[in-house]
Amino acid sequence: MSAPSKTKADVLQGTLALMVLKTLDVLGPLHGYGIARRIEQISGDLLAVNQGTLYPVLLKLEQEGAISSEWGASENNRRARFYQLTRAGRKQLETESQDWQQTATIIARFFQLKKEDWT
Amino acid sequence: MKSLRRFFSRLFSFATRRVQEDRLREEIAEHIVLQTSDNIRAGMSRFEARRQALIKFGGVESMKEEHRAERGFILLENLLQDIRFAMRSLSRTSGLTAFVVLMLALGLGMTAGTFSMLDALIFRPYPVPNSSGVLTLVSTSHDSGYEWFSYREYLDLRDKTSSFSGVTANADMQAVGFAADPSATPRVKGGMMVSGNYFRVLGVEPHLGRSFREDEDLVPGRNPVVVLGPDFWMHEFAGDPSILGKTVRLNGVEFTVIGVAPETFPGMLIFGHPDFYMPLAMARVFSTNPQKSFFENRDDREVLVRARLKPGITLQQARNELDVFAANLARDYPQFNRDRGAAIHTQFEMRTRGDDVNWKFGVIFVVLSLSVLLVACTNVAGLLLSRARTRTREVAVRLAIGAGRLRLVRLLLTESLILASFGGLVGVAIAYAITAWFQSQQSVIFMTDLPFAIPFRVNTRVLIASLALSVVSAVVCGLVPALQSSRTDLVNGLKSTEADLPSRKRFWGRNALVVAQVSTSLMLLTASFLMFRGFQHSVLDGTGFAKNHLLMVSFDPRLMQYNPSQTKQFYKQLIDRVRQTPGARSATLTQNVPLGADFFDWDVLAFAPDGFQMPPDRDHFTSMMDAADEAYFETMSIPIVRGRGFLASDTADTPRIAVVNEQFAKHYWPSSDALGQHIRLDNSAGPLVEIVGVAQTIKVQDAFGKSSDFVYLPVAQHPRDRMTLLVRSERDPLPLLQPVKDLVHTLDPNMPVLHTMTYEDLYLNQTVRGPGIAIKLVAAMGIVGLLMAVAGLYGVIAFNVSRRTREFGIRIAIGASSSDVLRLVLGKGILLVAVGVVIGLVMGLAVERMMNAMLFNSGGVDYLAYAVVLPALFTVTVLAVYVPARRASRIAPTQALRYE
Repeated sequence: MSAPSKTKADVLQGTLALMVLKTLDVLGPLHGYGIARRIEQISGDLLAVNQGTLYPVLLKLEQEGAISSEWGASENNRRARFYQLTRAGRKQLETESQDWQQTATIIARFFQLKKEDWT
Repeated sequence: MKSLRRFFSRLFSFATRRVQEDRLREEIAEHIVLQTSDNIRAGMSRFEARRQALIKFGGVESMKEEHRAERGFILLENLLQDIRFAMRSLSRTSGLTAFVVLMLALGLGMTAGTFSMLDALIFRPYPVPNSSGVLTLVSTSHDSGYEWFSYREYLDLRDKTSSFSGVTANADMQAVGFAADPSATPRVKGGMMVSGNYFRVLGVEPHLGRSFREDEDLVPGRNPVVVLGPDFWMHEFAGDPSILGKTVRLNGVEFTVIGVAPETFPGMLIFGHPDFYMPLAMARVFSTNPQKSFFENRDDREVLVRARLKPGITLQQARNELDVFAANLARDYPQFNRDRGAAIHTQFEMRTRGDDVNWKFGVIFVVLSLSVLLVACTNVAGLLLSRARTRTREVAVRLAIGAGRLRLVRLLLTESLILASFGGLVGVAIAYAITAWFQSQQSVIFMTDLPFAIPFRVNTRVLIASLALSVVSAVVCGLVPALQSSRTDLVNGLKSTEADLPSRKRFWGRNALVVAQVSTSLMLLTASFLMFRGFQHSVLDGTGFAKNHLLMVSFDPRLMQYNPSQTKQFYKQLIDRVRQTPGARSATLTQNVPLGADFFDWDVLAFAPDGFQMPPDRDHFTSMMDAADEAYFETMSIPIVRGRGFLASDTADTPRIAVVNEQFAKHYWPSSDALGQHIRLDNSAGPLVEIVGVAQTIKVQDAFGKSSDFVYLPVAQHPRDRMTLLVRSERDPLPLLQPVKDLVHTLDPNMPVLHTMTYEDLYLNQTVRGPGIAIKLVAAMGIVGLLMAVAGLYGVIAFNVSRRTREFGIRIAIGASSSDVLRLVLGKGILLVAVGVVIGLVMGLAVERMMNAMLFNSGGVDYLAYAVVLPALFTVTVLAVYVPARRASRIAPTQALRYE
């Protein structure tokens, strides 16, 4: 909790929860490392640093009831915590992705504006 | 919703935080392992793969911190940290901690112990559902605001008022001869007559069987039924449920057991727990005065009326209705109710009535023990203040590395809270010990056959009060030191181990503490001494008759269903034979015994002095009375100052006579001789009685009140059932007991003997041991307070001396003599003591005023008390100052200058 300067990763922080939900929605139950890797793959190294920040987000989502977790075996047969989307989480994902899309559309429109349009 | 859910899961994870911590650690480890193996697959060396994995994961600790913050309650965790830390730092100074805890425990324990008295005497609600709706109705007259009602008046109250959902009545708990079967000798138990609706209106469901039906209390003498009290049922019948329907004998009459009261209902009295309940309609079996008719006489006021307020009716409405009711009674029955009113009292009002002394003792004890607590708190505050000074550096370091002031105050307050909680815990143990001690004094306080018990217990209310008090005292002792050390000057604080900034303001606080201690302990000592003197004073006054060499045995032939002539016969044979017993100098029969308040039924005599112009609003006066035989004054060695005592020749057939005490004579014939005057019994139309003698005034009811008007009537003219035999012996009276018992046995083998003891025992119990308990309690408080004050004073002066060691060294080095230093330190200490004494004197006078007003009915200042207490306190406190002062005067400058 030190540097207050905004980095790419910080911007992504707010959307991390949404990414987690979407990942779990598409891929089904995953452990923390699995989630981190998928997000990394898709976001193209945007989340390359501080994978650890994922875990507080997971905890928050679990406390809100959007995801649930249980112990399972990982691919190399060790104990790992597997996270899974709940029904409430699916609903949350739906509304939040709608919101996000709306916001994205609006922002996109703003960026398409040319100087003439302001006058 | 979401936030609520988060709150609960946070609460849950706070409780399971250790498991959660493990889970996180495991997840992190697994994450790193998986990343490492992926990296190895991508071609890195084993070492490099792990390094890269760790880098990619980021700062583990900061992430853990974030995780924790997400998980639980920071405040709560900080609090736990504070507690852990405080425990550690307190255990480092374990001696001081133990001392502080002990002091707080003494203060809190005494307060809790005395509060348990007050709780039982005032606050404990009636053991019935919705107890706040239960009101007490009393009859008021010129003489008292708390008189009871007659049975007739009760019926009117029950039937002619509309503010109550039920009106009940009960007689006083009284001695009843009880036998489980006809062959057994009756034993004395406590029975209470109640109205048929008593249990129903109070809302008490019987544990077994049923309570009274209202028709069982309708026709006098028709329904001999009895409901047993829970304790009596357990002890007498071992909780046997088959007792229902069986018969027992009460005063020789067969009664059928119909029910058992529940354990939750030990009765409505504070001290007494009736063994059984009978319907009022059976009063003839239990009547104390055969000449009066309980059911008919409107002025035979023997029942206490309690009522339940109807829902929706206010107390004021009920009071208005009762005023009208009393006015109607006065109009309808002017000869009984002309100058009478009626009043309604809540439980609290009844228990804090002005003419009851027990609760006043309770209040005074609580006030005094709160003062002990105050001394303890100031003492602890002083100690914590000294401790805070030696911790200046620690505090400065904490501030320097960024602790907030609030956080620091919180930490220090946590410490005092912990101290107070430990003190509270030990204090509760002390309170238990105090109440246990009270219980052990039970037989001393109640020397009676009736079921009385000490009700003082540490219950939830007492525990909650002590908890609250612990917190308050923690804040009182902890806040000032905490605030002060959080204001530490960083630069100086870091430089020396003990920042020595003798700012006047800071020191003023500690001096104030010492002054408070000295003054409060002076007040406590004064109070205990005054209480001792007050008792002594009131006991010595008017109790000057001989108390030793007297044997006392009581009889109640009603227990054997004697008729009046049998009773007369029994007593005549008894007294004649006792007088012939070797070793008996004289013997007398009397209705009551002086200073035996709790044991006897005192009659009140209504009379009108003959030829006296009565005030327009009343037709009689009242006076205490006793019926005794011709040997009474001689046996009790009560001097007859004028005229004569009773003679054997005063019989039922000779003119009626009376002996009055001097106070009575002065009261009604202030300027002339009472001898030869006449009074009329009941009212100015009653039978004429001549005053033939005036006896010295003695206190009759109890030794602590004032003496009262008193009339002695010859028992031959006023026969009584229940009488007490007093035998004056040559030597130790106890060996006479067996001959007397044998004598009774030859007269009637079944006659129970009651209250067999020496009169001296009775006297000691009633007037010496009981008050002795109060004196001991207050004296303990005074001594504890004084010891605390001495310890506090010593502590402050000693601390002061050690702080100024270097200064004294310099003073001595540049030429001050050791007596100069001694004077310096002593002077300061004595100044503190003197200020404390002055304030304490003012407080002592205030307490004296309160005690005089509440307990001893006397005015004025007891100079002797101060003459004893003041020098004692002064000597002890000056000694506490002198010891460290002497040490200061012996400081060797060579050492002192090197002292750090």
